[in-house]
Amino acid sequence: MVSKEDIQNLAELARLELSDSEVEGLQKDISHILEYVGQVSAVSADAKISVPENRNVMREDTPRAEGDPMVGKREAVVAAFPKREGDYNVVRKIIQKDE
Amino acid sequence: MSSLNQLSITEAADKLQKKEISAVELTRACLDETAKRNPALNAYLEVFDDAEQQAADADARRAKGENGPLLGIPLGMKDNILIEGKHVSAASNILEGYVASYDATVTAKLKQAGAVFLGRTNMDEFAHGSSTENSAFGPSKNPHDEARMPGGSSGGSAAAVAAHLALGALGTDTGGSIREPASFCGIVGLKPTYGAVSRLGLIAMGSSLDQAGPLTKTVADAELIFNAIKGKDSLDSTSIDFSVQKSMPKKIGVPRHLLKTGVDPDILEKFEASLAALKAEGYEVVDIELPSAGLALAVYYVIMPAEVSANLARFDGVRYGLSNKGVSLWEDYAKTRGAGFGPEARRRIMLGTYVLSSGYYDAYYGKATAAREMLRAEVVQALEGVDLIANPSAPTPAPKLGEKTNDPLAMYLLDIFTVTANLTGNPAISVPMGTVEREGLPAQAGKHLPAGLQFTAAHGNEQALFVAGKALEKTGGTMRSNG
Repeated sequence: MVSKEDIQNLAELARLELSDSEVEGLQKDISHILEYVGQVSAVSADAKISVPENRNVMREDTPRAEGDPMVGKREAVVAAFPKREGDYNVVRKIIQKDE
Repeated sequence: MSSLNQLSITEAADKLQKKEISAVELTRACLDETAKRNPALNAYLEVFDDAEQQAADADARRAKGENGPLLGIPLGMKDNILIEGKHVSAASNILEGYVASYDATVTAKLKQAGAVFLGRTNMDEFAHGSSTENSAFGPSKNPHDEARMPGGSSGGSAAAVAAHLALGALGTDTGGSIREPASFCGIVGLKPTYGAVSRLGLIAMGSSLDQAGPLTKTVADAELIFNAIKGKDSLDSTSIDFSVQKSMPKKIGVPRHLLKTGVDPDILEKFEASLAALKAEGYEVVDIELPSAGLALAVYYVIMPAEVSANLARFDGVRYGLSNKGVSLWEDYAKTRGAGFGPEARRRIMLGTYVLSSGYYDAYYGKATAAREMLRAEVVQALEGVDLIANPSAPTPAPKLGEKTNDPLAMYLLDIFTVTANLTGNPAISVPMGTVEREGLPAQAGKHLPAGLQFTAAHGNEQALFVAGKALEKTGGTMRSNG
Protein backbone atom coordinates (compact mmCIF):
# COMPACT_ATOMS: atom_id res chain seq x y z
CA MET A 1 0.00 0.00 0.00
CA VAL A 2 1.28 3.42 -0.97
CA SER A 3 1.70 5.51 2.19
CA LYS A 4 -0.11 8.72 3.03
CA GLU A 5 3.24 10.54 2.95
CA ASP A 6 3.95 9.17 -0.55
CA ILE A 7 0.62 10.53 -1.79
CA GLN A 8 1.24 13.91 -0.18
CA ASN A 9 4.73 14.04 -1.67
CA LEU A 10 3.40 13.18 -5.15
CA ALA A 11 0.68 15.82 -4.81
CA GLU A 12 3.35 18.37 -4.00
CA LEU A 13 5.42 17.33 -7.04
CA ALA A 14 2.29 17.47 -9.22
CA ARG A 15 1.14 20.81 -7.77
CA LEU A 16 -2.25 19.49 -6.69
CA GLU A 17 -4.16 20.51 -3.59
CA LEU A 18 -5.91 17.41 -2.22
CA SER A 19 -8.39 17.05 0.63
CA ASP A 20 -7.64 14.55 3.41
CA SER A 21 -10.36 12.21 2.22
CA GLU A 22 -8.97 12.31 -1.31
CA VAL A 23 -5.49 11.43 -0.04
CA GLU A 24 -7.01 8.35 1.56
CA GLY A 25 -8.96 7.44 -1.58
CA LEU A 26 -5.87 7.84 -3.75
CA GLN A 27 -3.81 5.63 -1.43
CA LYS A 28 -6.28 2.85 -2.17
CA ASP A 29 -6.77 3.59 -5.92
CA ILE A 30 -3.09 4.08 -6.77
CA SER A 31 -2.08 0.94 -4.84
CA HIS A 32 -4.78 -1.06 -6.64
CA ILE A 33 -3.75 0.23 -10.06
CA LEU A 34 -0.01 -0.24 -9.37
CA GLU A 35 -0.71 -3.84 -8.41
CA TYR A 36 -2.27 -4.36 -11.85
CA VAL A 37 0.29 -2.45 -13.93
CA GLY A 38 3.09 -4.08 -11.90
CA GLN A 39 2.77 -6.97 -14.41
CA VAL A 40 5.13 -4.99 -16.61
CA SER A 41 8.00 -5.53 -14.18
CA ALA A 42 8.02 -9.19 -15.27
CA VAL A 43 9.06 -8.14 -18.78
CA SER A 44 12.54 -9.48 -19.45
CA ALA A 45 13.38 -6.99 -22.20
CA ASP A 46 15.71 -4.18 -21.25
CA ALA A 47 14.33 -0.69 -21.72
CA LYS A 48 17.70 0.60 -22.86
CA ILE A 49 17.75 -1.50 -26.01
CA SER A 50 14.39 -0.23 -27.22
CA VAL A 51 14.63 2.50 -29.81
CA PRO A 52 11.65 4.83 -30.08
CA GLU A 53 10.24 5.19 -33.56
CA ASN A 54 9.87 8.93 -33.31
CA ARG A 55 12.72 11.40 -33.42
CA ASN A 56 12.72 15.08 -32.74
CA VAL A 57 12.47 17.29 -35.78
CA MET A 58 14.10 20.72 -35.71
CA ARG A 59 13.07 23.73 -37.73
CA GLU A 60 14.83 26.95 -38.69
CA ASP A 61 14.43 29.70 -36.11
CA THR A 62 12.68 32.07 -38.49
CA PRO A 63 9.40 34.01 -38.31
CA ARG A 64 6.38 32.02 -39.41
CA ALA A 65 5.31 32.58 -42.98
CA GLU A 66 2.10 34.32 -43.96
CA GLY A 67 -0.73 31.78 -44.08
CA ASP A 68 0.69 29.82 -41.14
CA PRO A 69 -2.20 29.17 -38.72
CA MET A 70 -0.20 30.70 -35.86
CA VAL A 71 0.31 34.05 -37.60
CA GLY A 72 -1.87 36.94 -36.47
CA LYS A 73 -3.09 35.25 -33.28
CA ARG A 74 -1.18 37.44 -30.81
CA GLU A 75 -4.21 39.41 -29.58
CA ALA A 76 -6.22 36.23 -29.01
CA VAL A 77 -3.39 34.79 -26.90
CA VAL A 78 -2.98 38.00 -24.89
CA ALA A 79 -6.76 38.21 -24.37
CA ALA A 80 -6.70 34.83 -22.58
CA PHE A 81 -4.36 36.05 -19.80
CA PRO A 82 -6.08 35.67 -16.41
CA LYS A 83 -4.78 39.13 -15.35
CA ARG A 84 -3.81 41.53 -18.05
CA GLU A 85 -2.23 44.99 -17.96
CA GLY A 86 -1.91 46.39 -21.45
CA ASP A 87 -0.06 43.66 -23.32
CA TYR A 88 1.51 42.30 -20.15
CA ASN A 89 0.51 39.12 -18.33
CA VAL A 90 0.55 39.99 -14.63
CA VAL A 91 2.06 37.14 -12.62
CA ARG A 92 3.23 36.67 -9.07
CA LYS A 93 6.77 37.69 -8.22
CA ILE A 94 8.86 34.53 -8.48
CA ILE A 95 12.13 35.51 -6.80
CA GLN A 96 11.56 36.66 -3.24
CA LYS A 97 13.79 37.37 -0.25
CA ASP A 98 14.19 34.53 2.21
CA GLU A 99 12.11 35.15 5.26
CA MET B 1 -35.52 7.76 -44.96
CA SER B 2 -38.01 10.05 -43.35
CA SER B 3 -35.80 12.87 -42.10
CA LEU B 4 -32.72 14.46 -43.59
CA ASN B 5 -30.74 14.09 -40.35
CA GLN B 6 -31.05 10.32 -40.67
CA LEU B 7 -29.07 10.28 -43.94
CA SER B 8 -25.52 9.02 -44.09
CA ILE B 9 -22.89 11.51 -45.28
CA THR B 10 -22.62 9.64 -48.58
CA GLU B 11 -26.39 9.80 -49.16
CA ALA B 12 -26.61 13.47 -48.14
CA ALA B 13 -23.66 14.41 -50.37
CA ASP B 14 -25.43 12.82 -53.31
CA LYS B 15 -28.65 14.77 -52.63
CA LEU B 16 -26.71 18.00 -52.16
CA GLN B 17 -24.88 17.45 -55.40
CA LYS B 18 -28.16 16.85 -57.24
CA LYS B 19 -29.52 20.00 -55.55
CA GLU B 20 -32.43 17.98 -54.13
CA ILE B 21 -31.65 19.44 -50.70
CA SER B 22 -29.64 22.35 -49.32
CA ALA B 23 -27.02 22.40 -46.61
CA VAL B 24 -29.26 24.75 -44.61
CA GLU B 25 -32.12 22.22 -44.68
CA LEU B 26 -29.74 19.45 -43.65
CA THR B 27 -28.31 21.48 -40.79
CA ARG B 28 -31.79 22.53 -39.60
CA ALA B 29 -32.87 18.89 -39.51
CA CYS B 30 -29.92 18.08 -37.22
CA LEU B 31 -30.57 21.15 -35.05
CA ASP B 32 -34.29 20.29 -34.72
CA GLU B 33 -33.48 16.76 -33.58
CA THR B 34 -30.82 18.16 -31.23
CA ALA B 35 -33.37 20.50 -29.64
CA LYS B 36 -35.60 17.48 -29.00
CA ARG B 37 -33.10 14.96 -27.72
CA ASN B 38 -30.00 16.76 -26.45
CA PRO B 39 -31.53 17.84 -23.12
CA ALA B 40 -31.76 14.12 -22.22
CA LEU B 41 -28.69 12.82 -24.07
CA ASN B 42 -26.24 15.65 -23.19
CA ALA B 43 -24.32 14.80 -26.37
CA TYR B 44 -23.47 18.45 -27.10
CA LEU B 45 -22.00 20.81 -24.50
CA GLU B 46 -22.69 23.70 -26.86
CA VAL B 47 -24.58 24.04 -30.11
CA PHE B 48 -22.94 26.77 -32.20
CA ASP B 49 -25.25 29.70 -32.93
CA ASP B 50 -23.63 30.18 -36.36
CA ALA B 51 -24.30 26.61 -37.59
CA GLU B 52 -27.02 27.74 -39.99
CA GLN B 53 -24.80 30.56 -41.24
CA GLN B 54 -21.99 28.06 -41.91
CA ALA B 55 -24.50 25.96 -43.87
CA ALA B 56 -25.62 29.01 -45.85
CA ASP B 57 -21.95 29.70 -46.66
CA ALA B 58 -21.57 26.12 -47.89
CA ASP B 59 -24.66 26.52 -50.10
CA ALA B 60 -23.16 29.74 -51.49
CA ARG B 61 -19.90 27.94 -52.26
CA ARG B 62 -21.85 25.24 -54.09
CA ALA B 63 -23.81 27.85 -56.04
CA LYS B 64 -20.47 29.18 -57.27
CA GLY B 65 -19.63 25.75 -58.68
CA GLU B 66 -17.70 24.21 -55.82
CA ASN B 67 -18.24 20.54 -55.12
CA GLY B 68 -16.94 17.91 -52.77
CA PRO B 69 -18.31 15.15 -50.56
CA LEU B 70 -18.18 17.15 -47.30
CA LEU B 71 -19.42 20.51 -48.62
CA GLY B 72 -22.43 21.39 -46.44
CA ILE B 73 -22.23 18.24 -44.27
CA PRO B 74 -23.07 18.97 -40.60
CA LEU B 75 -20.66 17.41 -38.10
CA GLY B 76 -20.12 17.37 -34.35
CA MET B 77 -16.67 18.19 -32.98
CA LYS B 78 -15.32 16.71 -29.76
CA ASP B 79 -14.64 19.39 -27.14
CA ASN B 80 -10.86 18.87 -27.28
CA ILE B 81 -10.48 20.01 -30.91
CA LEU B 82 -9.74 23.71 -31.42
CA ILE B 83 -12.01 25.85 -33.61
CA GLU B 84 -10.77 29.44 -33.78
CA GLY B 85 -13.02 31.84 -31.87
CA LYS B 86 -15.03 29.08 -30.20
CA HIS B 87 -14.95 28.09 -26.55
CA VAL B 88 -13.14 24.77 -26.00
CA SER B 89 -12.89 23.07 -22.61
CA ALA B 90 -11.96 19.37 -22.90
CA ALA B 91 -15.02 19.07 -20.60
CA SER B 92 -12.91 20.48 -17.76
CA ASN B 93 -13.46 23.35 -15.34
CA ILE B 94 -9.79 24.30 -15.67
CA LEU B 95 -10.43 25.65 -19.18
CA GLU B 96 -13.34 27.79 -18.00
CA GLY B 97 -13.91 30.62 -20.47
CA TYR B 98 -11.05 29.59 -22.77
CA VAL B 99 -11.52 30.54 -26.43
CA ALA B 100 -9.39 28.80 -29.07
CA SER B 101 -6.91 31.18 -30.69
CA TYR B 102 -6.39 29.09 -33.82
CA ASP B 103 -7.86 26.20 -35.80
CA ALA B 104 -6.63 22.65 -35.27
CA THR B 105 -5.29 21.29 -38.55
CA VAL B 106 -8.22 18.86 -38.72
CA THR B 107 -10.58 21.82 -38.23
CA ALA B 108 -8.88 23.83 -40.98
CA LYS B 109 -9.04 20.88 -43.36
CA LEU B 110 -12.74 20.29 -42.67
CA LYS B 111 -13.47 24.01 -43.11
CA GLN B 112 -11.69 23.90 -46.45
CA ALA B 113 -13.83 20.89 -47.41
CA GLY B 114 -16.92 22.93 -46.47
CA ALA B 115 -18.12 20.94 -43.45
CA VAL B 116 -20.56 22.62 -41.03
CA PHE B 117 -19.67 22.47 -37.32
CA LEU B 118 -22.88 21.98 -35.32
CA GLY B 119 -21.37 22.14 -31.87
CA ARG B 120 -18.85 20.73 -29.43
CA THR B 121 -19.58 17.27 -28.08
CA ASN B 122 -19.28 16.02 -24.52
CA MET B 123 -16.40 13.81 -23.41
CA ASP B 124 -14.61 12.51 -20.36
CA GLU B 125 -12.54 15.37 -18.94
CA PHE B 126 -9.30 15.59 -20.96
CA ALA B 127 -10.40 12.32 -22.62
CA HIS B 128 -9.71 10.45 -19.37
CA GLY B 129 -12.32 7.74 -19.34
CA SER B 130 -14.42 5.20 -21.19
CA SER B 131 -17.94 6.40 -20.36
CA THR B 132 -18.15 10.29 -20.43
CA GLU B 133 -18.98 10.04 -16.72
CA ASN B 134 -15.78 11.97 -16.01
CA SER B 135 -17.07 15.08 -17.81
CA ALA B 136 -17.24 18.13 -15.56
CA PHE B 137 -20.60 18.84 -17.22
CA GLY B 138 -22.44 15.58 -16.55
CA PRO B 139 -22.42 12.30 -18.49
CA SER B 140 -23.83 11.75 -21.96
CA LYS B 141 -26.43 9.03 -22.34
CA ASN B 142 -26.55 6.11 -24.76
CA PRO B 143 -29.32 6.75 -27.33
CA HIS B 144 -30.23 3.04 -27.31
CA ASP B 145 -30.90 3.17 -23.54
CA GLU B 146 -30.54 6.41 -21.62
CA ALA B 147 -29.78 4.47 -18.43
CA ARG B 148 -26.53 3.34 -20.06
CA MET B 149 -23.25 5.01 -20.91
CA PRO B 150 -22.45 5.87 -24.53
CA GLY B 151 -18.81 4.87 -23.96
CA GLY B 152 -15.97 7.30 -24.00
CA SER B 153 -14.11 9.36 -24.06
CA SER B 154 -15.69 10.49 -27.37
CA GLY B 155 -19.13 9.55 -26.01
CA GLY B 156 -20.83 12.83 -26.95
CA SER B 157 -19.71 12.41 -30.55
CA ALA B 158 -20.91 8.79 -30.62
CA ALA B 159 -24.28 9.61 -29.04
CA ALA B 160 -24.80 12.56 -31.43
CA VAL B 161 -24.18 10.40 -34.50
CA ALA B 162 -26.17 7.39 -33.26
CA ALA B 163 -29.17 9.61 -32.39
CA HIS B 164 -28.90 11.45 -35.73
CA LEU B 165 -28.05 14.80 -34.12
CA ALA B 166 -25.20 15.01 -36.64
CA LEU B 167 -24.33 13.16 -39.84
CA GLY B 168 -20.88 12.36 -38.47
CA ALA B 169 -18.44 13.60 -35.87
CA LEU B 170 -14.78 13.87 -35.02
CA GLY B 171 -13.38 12.27 -31.92
CA THR B 172 -9.95 11.52 -30.56
CA ASP B 173 -8.58 8.12 -29.57
CA THR B 174 -5.75 7.58 -27.08
CA GLY B 175 -6.67 4.08 -25.88
CA GLY B 176 -9.97 3.35 -27.62
CA SER B 177 -11.85 6.62 -27.17
CA ILE B 178 -13.30 6.53 -30.69
CA ARG B 179 -13.75 2.75 -31.13
CA GLU B 180 -15.27 1.82 -27.76
CA PRO B 181 -18.09 4.45 -27.89
CA ALA B 182 -18.68 3.54 -31.56
CA SER B 183 -19.14 -0.08 -30.43
CA PHE B 184 -21.49 0.88 -27.57
CA CYS B 185 -23.60 3.19 -29.79
CA GLY B 186 -23.76 0.95 -32.87
CA ILE B 187 -21.78 3.14 -35.27
CA VAL B 188 -18.41 3.11 -37.06
CA GLY B 189 -15.28 4.56 -35.43
CA LEU B 190 -11.78 4.83 -36.93
CA LYS B 191 -8.47 5.34 -35.12
CA PRO B 192 -6.01 6.18 -37.92
CA THR B 193 -2.34 5.17 -38.09
CA TYR B 194 -0.30 7.23 -35.62
CA GLY B 195 0.86 10.25 -37.61
CA ALA B 196 -1.68 9.89 -40.42
CA VAL B 197 -3.67 12.82 -39.01
CA SER B 198 -2.05 15.95 -37.56
CA ARG B 199 -2.36 16.46 -33.82
CA LEU B 200 -1.93 20.24 -34.03
CA GLY B 201 -4.77 21.87 -32.14
CA LEU B 202 -5.94 18.78 -30.27
CA ILE B 203 -5.77 19.21 -26.50
CA ALA B 204 -3.05 16.64 -25.80
CA MET B 205 -3.58 13.64 -23.55
CA GLY B 206 -0.91 11.04 -24.37
CA SER B 207 1.14 12.50 -27.19
CA SER B 208 2.67 9.23 -28.39
CA LEU B 209 -0.83 7.65 -28.50
CA ASP B 210 -3.34 10.37 -29.55
CA GLN B 211 -5.02 10.41 -32.97
CA ALA B 212 -8.14 12.19 -34.20
CA GLY B 213 -10.60 10.28 -36.34
CA PRO B 214 -14.21 9.97 -37.52
CA LEU B 215 -17.33 8.51 -35.89
CA THR B 216 -19.90 7.85 -38.60
CA LYS B 217 -22.96 5.83 -39.56
CA THR B 218 -21.15 3.88 -42.31
CA VAL B 219 -17.64 2.76 -43.23
CA ALA B 220 -17.82 4.75 -46.49
CA ASP B 221 -18.52 7.90 -44.43
CA ALA B 222 -15.50 7.23 -42.19
CA GLU B 223 -13.37 6.90 -45.30
CA LEU B 224 -14.63 10.27 -46.63
CA ILE B 225 -13.74 12.09 -43.41
CA PHE B 226 -10.41 10.30 -43.06
CA ASN B 227 -9.43 11.31 -46.60
CA ALA B 228 -10.28 14.93 -45.77
CA ILE B 229 -8.24 15.15 -42.54
CA LYS B 230 -5.15 13.01 -43.22
CA GLY B 231 -1.75 14.18 -44.33
CA LYS B 232 1.63 15.59 -43.32
CA ASP B 233 1.56 18.83 -41.35
CA SER B 234 4.70 20.92 -40.90
CA LEU B 235 3.36 21.91 -37.47
CA ASP B 236 3.19 18.31 -36.19
CA SER B 237 6.59 16.69 -36.59
CA THR B 238 5.11 13.23 -35.92
CA SER B 239 2.70 13.50 -38.86
CA ILE B 240 3.52 11.44 -41.93
CA ASP B 241 3.02 11.65 -45.66
CA PHE B 242 0.18 9.43 -46.48
CA SER B 243 -0.52 7.76 -49.76
CA VAL B 244 -3.48 5.43 -50.03
CA GLN B 245 -2.35 1.85 -50.49
CA LYS B 246 -4.25 -0.47 -52.78
CA SER B 247 -5.51 -3.28 -50.64
CA MET B 248 -7.57 -6.40 -51.11
CA PRO B 249 -7.47 -8.02 -47.67
CA LYS B 250 -8.19 -11.75 -47.72
CA LYS B 251 -6.73 -13.23 -44.55
CA ILE B 252 -7.96 -12.39 -41.05
CA GLY B 253 -6.00 -13.39 -37.94
CA VAL B 254 -7.83 -13.89 -34.64
CA PRO B 255 -5.89 -13.87 -31.34
CA ARG B 256 -8.31 -16.31 -29.68
CA HIS B 257 -5.98 -16.78 -26.71
CA LEU B 258 -7.01 -13.26 -25.61
CA LEU B 259 -10.73 -14.06 -25.72
CA LYS B 260 -10.80 -16.94 -23.24
CA THR B 261 -11.83 -14.91 -20.20
CA GLY B 262 -13.58 -11.62 -19.47
CA VAL B 263 -15.71 -11.42 -22.63
CA ASP B 264 -19.49 -11.74 -22.47
CA PRO B 265 -20.54 -15.06 -24.09
CA ASP B 266 -23.08 -13.43 -26.42
CA ILE B 267 -20.45 -10.91 -27.59
CA LEU B 268 -18.23 -13.87 -28.50
CA GLU B 269 -21.15 -15.53 -30.31
CA LYS B 270 -21.76 -12.40 -32.40
CA PHE B 271 -18.04 -12.18 -33.09
CA GLU B 272 -17.83 -15.79 -34.30
CA ALA B 273 -21.00 -15.34 -36.38
CA SER B 274 -19.46 -12.25 -38.01
CA LEU B 275 -16.28 -14.17 -38.83
CA ALA B 276 -18.39 -16.94 -40.34
CA ALA B 277 -20.22 -14.37 -42.46
CA LEU B 278 -16.89 -12.93 -43.61
CA LYS B 279 -15.73 -16.46 -44.52
CA ALA B 280 -18.82 -16.75 -46.70
CA GLU B 281 -17.67 -13.51 -48.38
CA GLY B 282 -14.38 -15.20 -49.27
CA TYR B 283 -12.18 -14.25 -46.32
CA GLU B 284 -9.85 -16.79 -44.75
CA VAL B 285 -9.84 -16.81 -40.92
CA VAL B 286 -6.85 -18.18 -39.00
CA ASP B 287 -5.70 -18.20 -35.36
CA ILE B 288 -2.74 -16.01 -34.47
CA GLU B 289 -0.72 -15.50 -31.29
CA LEU B 290 0.24 -12.13 -29.83
CA PRO B 291 2.21 -13.33 -26.78
CA SER B 292 2.61 -9.87 -25.18
CA ALA B 293 -0.91 -8.59 -25.88
CA GLY B 294 -2.11 -9.73 -22.46
CA LEU B 295 0.17 -7.06 -21.02
CA ALA B 296 -1.15 -4.26 -23.25
CA LEU B 297 -3.53 -2.69 -20.74
CA ALA B 298 -0.89 -2.68 -17.99
CA VAL B 299 1.65 -1.13 -20.37
CA TYR B 300 -0.92 1.47 -21.43
CA TYR B 301 -1.76 2.42 -17.84
CA VAL B 302 1.91 3.21 -17.23
CA ILE B 303 2.73 5.08 -20.44
CA MET B 304 -0.52 7.03 -20.76
CA PRO B 305 -0.58 8.53 -17.23
CA ALA B 306 3.12 9.36 -17.55
CA GLU B 307 2.35 11.40 -20.68
CA VAL B 308 -0.82 12.83 -19.09
CA SER B 309 1.10 14.12 -16.08
CA ALA B 310 3.55 15.88 -18.42
CA ASN B 311 0.90 17.25 -20.81
CA LEU B 312 -1.38 18.54 -18.05
CA ALA B 313 1.49 20.40 -16.39
CA ARG B 314 0.71 23.30 -18.75
CA PHE B 315 -2.58 24.04 -16.98
CA ASP B 316 -1.15 26.24 -14.26
CA GLY B 317 -3.53 29.22 -14.14
CA VAL B 318 -0.81 31.56 -15.39
CA ARG B 319 -1.60 31.98 -19.08
CA TYR B 320 -5.25 31.02 -19.62
CA GLY B 321 -8.25 29.31 -18.10
CA LEU B 322 -9.08 29.00 -14.41
CA SER B 323 -6.72 30.98 -12.15
CA ASN B 324 -7.13 30.59 -8.39
CA LYS B 325 -4.93 32.51 -5.96
CA GLY B 326 -3.33 31.43 -2.69
CA VAL B 327 -0.64 33.02 -0.52
CA SER B 328 2.31 31.75 -2.58
CA LEU B 329 3.14 30.69 -6.11
CA TRP B 330 2.95 27.04 -5.04
CA GLU B 331 -0.53 27.62 -3.65
CA ASP B 332 -1.62 29.43 -6.82
CA TYR B 333 -0.71 26.31 -8.82
CA ALA B 334 -2.10 23.83 -6.29
CA LYS B 335 -5.40 25.64 -5.82
CA THR B 336 -5.91 26.15 -9.55
CA ARG B 337 -5.09 22.55 -10.40
CA GLY B 338 -6.74 21.04 -7.32
CA ALA B 339 -10.04 22.78 -8.10
CA GLY B 340 -9.80 22.81 -11.91
CA PHE B 341 -9.10 19.12 -12.54
CA GLY B 342 -11.74 16.50 -11.75
CA PRO B 343 -11.05 13.32 -9.74
CA GLU B 344 -9.97 11.11 -12.66
CA ALA B 345 -7.59 13.73 -14.10
CA ARG B 346 -6.06 14.16 -10.64
CA ARG B 347 -5.78 10.36 -10.26
CA ARG B 348 -3.97 10.03 -13.59
CA ILE B 349 -1.64 12.95 -12.89
CA MET B 350 -0.74 11.33 -9.55
CA LEU B 351 -0.23 7.91 -11.15
CA GLY B 352 1.93 9.42 -13.91
CA THR B 353 3.97 11.37 -11.40
CA TYR B 354 4.50 8.13 -9.46
CA VAL B 355 5.69 6.01 -12.40
CA LEU B 356 8.06 8.74 -13.54
CA SER B 357 9.48 9.51 -10.11
CA SER B 358 13.01 8.64 -9.13
CA GLY B 359 13.30 5.07 -7.87
CA TYR B 360 10.23 3.81 -9.75
CA TYR B 361 11.03 4.98 -13.29
CA ASP B 362 12.93 1.84 -14.37
CA ALA B 363 10.46 -0.60 -12.82
CA TYR B 364 7.40 1.00 -14.43
CA TYR B 365 8.05 3.43 -17.29
CA GLY B 366 11.25 1.73 -18.44
CA LYS B 367 9.70 -1.74 -18.45
CA ALA B 368 6.49 -0.48 -20.07
CA THR B 369 8.46 1.16 -22.88
CA ALA B 370 10.35 -2.08 -23.49
CA ALA B 371 7.10 -4.11 -23.46
CA ARG B 372 5.54 -1.61 -25.87
CA GLU B 373 8.35 -2.20 -28.37
CA MET B 374 7.94 -5.97 -27.98
CA LEU B 375 4.22 -5.67 -28.61
CA ARG B 376 4.80 -3.48 -31.63
CA ALA B 377 7.21 -6.03 -33.11
CA GLU B 378 4.70 -8.83 -32.51
CA VAL B 379 1.86 -6.95 -34.21
CA VAL B 380 4.06 -6.00 -37.16
CA GLN B 381 5.15 -9.62 -37.52
CA ALA B 382 1.57 -10.94 -37.23
CA LEU B 383 0.47 -8.55 -39.97
CA GLU B 384 3.10 -9.98 -42.29
CA GLY B 385 1.19 -13.29 -42.14
CA VAL B 386 -2.37 -11.93 -42.22
CA ASP B 387 -3.97 -8.79 -43.69
CA LEU B 388 -6.08 -7.94 -40.64
CA ILE B 389 -6.39 -8.78 -36.97
CA ALA B 390 -9.96 -9.11 -35.68
CA ASN B 391 -11.40 -9.07 -32.16
CA PRO B 392 -14.48 -7.71 -30.39
CA SER B 393 -14.10 -3.93 -29.92
CA ALA B 394 -15.13 -4.24 -26.26
CA PRO B 395 -15.75 -7.21 -23.94
CA THR B 396 -19.35 -6.14 -23.18
CA PRO B 397 -22.16 -4.00 -24.60
CA ALA B 398 -22.66 -0.54 -23.00
CA PRO B 399 -22.70 -0.84 -19.19
CA LYS B 400 -25.21 1.07 -17.08
CA LEU B 401 -24.28 4.55 -15.92
CA GLY B 402 -22.60 4.35 -12.52
CA GLU B 403 -21.86 0.64 -12.88
CA LYS B 404 -18.09 1.17 -13.17
CA THR B 405 -17.54 4.49 -11.41
CA ASN B 406 -16.52 3.06 -8.03
CA ASP B 407 -13.66 0.99 -9.37
CA PRO B 408 -11.22 2.76 -11.73
CA LEU B 409 -9.65 -0.51 -12.79
CA ALA B 410 -13.02 -2.03 -13.81
CA MET B 411 -13.55 1.04 -16.03
CA TYR B 412 -10.06 0.69 -17.50
CA LEU B 413 -10.78 -2.93 -18.48
CA LEU B 414 -13.37 -1.75 -21.04
CA ASP B 415 -10.36 -0.71 -23.15
CA ILE B 416 -8.65 -4.10 -23.03
CA PHE B 417 -8.99 -4.73 -26.80
CA THR B 418 -8.45 -1.19 -28.05
CA VAL B 419 -5.26 0.02 -26.31
CA THR B 420 -2.93 -2.21 -28.34
CA ALA B 421 -3.43 -0.22 -31.57
CA ASN B 422 -2.51 3.01 -29.76
CA LEU B 423 0.62 1.48 -28.25
CA THR B 424 1.75 0.08 -31.60
CA GLY B 425 0.52 2.95 -33.81
CA ASN B 426 -1.55 0.67 -36.08
CA PRO B 427 -4.84 1.84 -37.62
CA ALA B 428 -7.99 0.17 -36.25
CA ILE B 429 -11.71 0.46 -36.91
CA SER B 430 -14.81 -0.60 -35.00
CA VAL B 431 -17.73 -1.69 -37.18
CA PRO B 432 -21.15 -2.81 -35.85
CA MET B 433 -21.46 -6.61 -35.78
CA GLY B 434 -25.07 -6.82 -34.58
CA THR B 435 -26.81 -6.61 -31.25
CA VAL B 436 -27.02 -8.59 -28.03
CA GLU B 437 -30.03 -8.94 -25.73
CA ARG B 438 -30.17 -7.45 -22.27
CA GLU B 439 -33.08 -7.26 -19.84
CA GLY B 440 -34.71 -4.02 -18.81
CA LEU B 441 -34.09 -2.03 -21.97
CA PRO B 442 -36.58 0.59 -23.15
CA ALA B 443 -39.17 -0.58 -25.67
CA GLN B 444 -37.63 1.26 -28.62
CA ALA B 445 -34.36 -0.64 -28.19
CA GLY B 446 -36.28 -3.93 -28.36
CA LYS B 447 -34.01 -5.45 -25.67
CA HIS B 448 -31.06 -5.07 -28.01
CA LEU B 449 -27.75 -3.30 -27.51
CA PRO B 450 -25.16 -2.87 -30.27
CA ALA B 451 -21.67 -4.35 -30.28
CA GLY B 452 -18.70 -3.72 -32.53
CA LEU B 453 -16.00 -5.77 -34.20
CA GLN B 454 -12.52 -4.30 -34.42
CA PHE B 455 -10.16 -4.76 -37.34
CA THR B 456 -6.50 -3.75 -37.02
CA ALA B 457 -4.30 -3.36 -40.12
CA ALA B 458 -0.64 -2.70 -40.90
CA HIS B 459 0.67 0.85 -40.46
CA GLY B 460 -0.68 3.07 -43.22
CA ASN B 461 -3.11 0.47 -44.52
CA GLU B 462 -6.44 2.12 -43.57
CA GLN B 463 -7.64 0.92 -46.96
CA ALA B 464 -7.71 -2.69 -45.72
CA LEU B 465 -9.95 -1.57 -42.83
CA PHE B 466 -12.38 0.15 -45.19
CA VAL B 467 -12.59 -2.84 -47.56
CA ALA B 468 -13.16 -5.39 -44.78
CA GLY B 469 -15.42 -2.98 -42.86
CA LYS B 470 -17.69 -2.63 -45.88
CA ALA B 471 -17.75 -6.41 -46.28
CA LEU B 472 -18.85 -6.76 -42.65
CA GLU B 473 -21.52 -4.07 -43.15
CA LYS B 474 -22.90 -6.04 -46.07
CA THR B 475 -23.41 -9.06 -43.83
CA GLY B 476 -25.87 -6.99 -41.75
CA GLY B 477 -25.79 -5.64 -38.24
CA THR B 478 -25.20 -1.97 -39.01
CA MET B 479 -27.38 0.64 -37.36
CA ARG B 480 -28.80 1.53 -40.77
CA SER B 481 -30.64 -1.80 -40.93
CA ASN B 482 -32.24 -1.49 -37.50
CA GLY B 483 -33.01 2.18 -37.71
